Amino acid sequence: MRDEQTGSWWQQVSGEAIQGPLKGRRLAGVVHDEVSFGIWKAEHPGGRVLKANPRQKDRYESADWEHRMKKVRTVTPVSKGDPFPPRTVVIGVSVNGRAKAYPFPRMREESPVLDTLGGVPLVLVVGDDQKSIRVFERTLDGRRLEFLAKAGAQPLRLLDAETGSEWDFRGRAISGPLAGGQLTKVKALKEYWFDWKIYQPATAVYDRGEAFR
Amino acid sequence: MEGSRSGRAGILGTWALAALVALGMFVWVAIPVVLIRPFEAQTPLGIALAYELRQKAPAVTLGGLVLLLPLLVRLARHVTRGWQWVPLVLLAALGGFPAWFARQNHFEWMFHPLSDPTYAPATLVQSVDDRDMVVAVEIGGDAVAWPVRQMGYHHIVQDKVGGVPVVSTY
Repeated sequence: MRDEQTGSWWQQVSGEAIQGPLKGRRLAGVVHDEVSFGIWKAEHPGGRVLKANPRQKDRYESADWEHRMKKVRTVTPVSKGDPFPPRTVVIGVSVNGRAKAYPFPRMREESPVLDTLGGVPLVLVVGDDQKSIRVFERTLDGRRLEFLAKAGAQPLRLLDAETGSEWDFRGRAISGPLAGGQLTKVKALKEYWFDWKIYQPATAVYDRGEAFR
Repeated sequence: MEGSRSGRAGILGTWALAALVALGMFVWVAIPVVLIRPFEAQTPLGIALAYELRQKAPAVTLGGLVLLLPLLVRLARHVTRGWQWVPLVLLAALGGFPAWFARQNHFEWMFHPLSDPTYAPATLVQSVDDRDMVVAVEIGGDAVAWPVRQMGYHHIVQDKVGGVPVVSTY
């Protein structure tokens, strides 16, 4: 990206200026969601959605473009010790200077995944659509929680082992002793492995989660 | 007056000089295009070089034109045969194109950033399927979703969310 004011060049994934007068400066990241529209709409009925520009509508990416992208070659070096093929989709999380890549296919199988990164206990949850994922700090008022999926629940519900309260995909306790509690969302990037490891060369890789596995 | 022989050598020299200037201008603007291509690996050195060349390209190509134009005028005066206009026009194009290109942002041709985004209420949107992915943020109760299929075309959308200026990029 290039800014009009100084002409500096900005790295898309990190928000850092890599060339020009602002080199070395970094934009503050905003916690974002990457979820399917149905889930987002149900959670934010009063939200607003970017309108398709009528002049460019026909040139937007087709519904299967992610599938097509899988075949596009990658240009970064592939090292022998790599745990995944370059185009494996990973969930990249970075907390207190520690980065970790969670391979998305395994998150789908194992959700909710409990882990601790940079000293912060985390839970990764995959949505009902099997495409959306969110990462939360799994502490509430200083209390560490462990989650498991409520069997057969639709939409998905999590239970915490400590109180048996029920939690939804937004990280909100909807019933039980902790009802009304809200977990803090953690920045997570859905990324190809080859790209994540370039920007996070010291990244750890998810092996196995904690508890209830 | 020059003798015909030295005059002829002078004209040849002018041709060579004009070609060198025009070619130099072309190479100056072409190098960043080659160094920064989508789906090609980039190096810090390559990016630094491309940045410097692009920064200076408007001034360099202007200087190039100032040099080139009198040379072309001189050559035009000495055109003796019709076909000699062909290389002359080619040289003018070779120098003119970089002067124009140096003032373009060709990355925007590729990536179509959206500068004046418009929005629809979530419940009224027809063009987005429930299974389509969106990138979404919520700041101060203002919830905004950018459909990934649109972001894959525009790549950059900027706006204010809950009063905070944000740039969303994909």
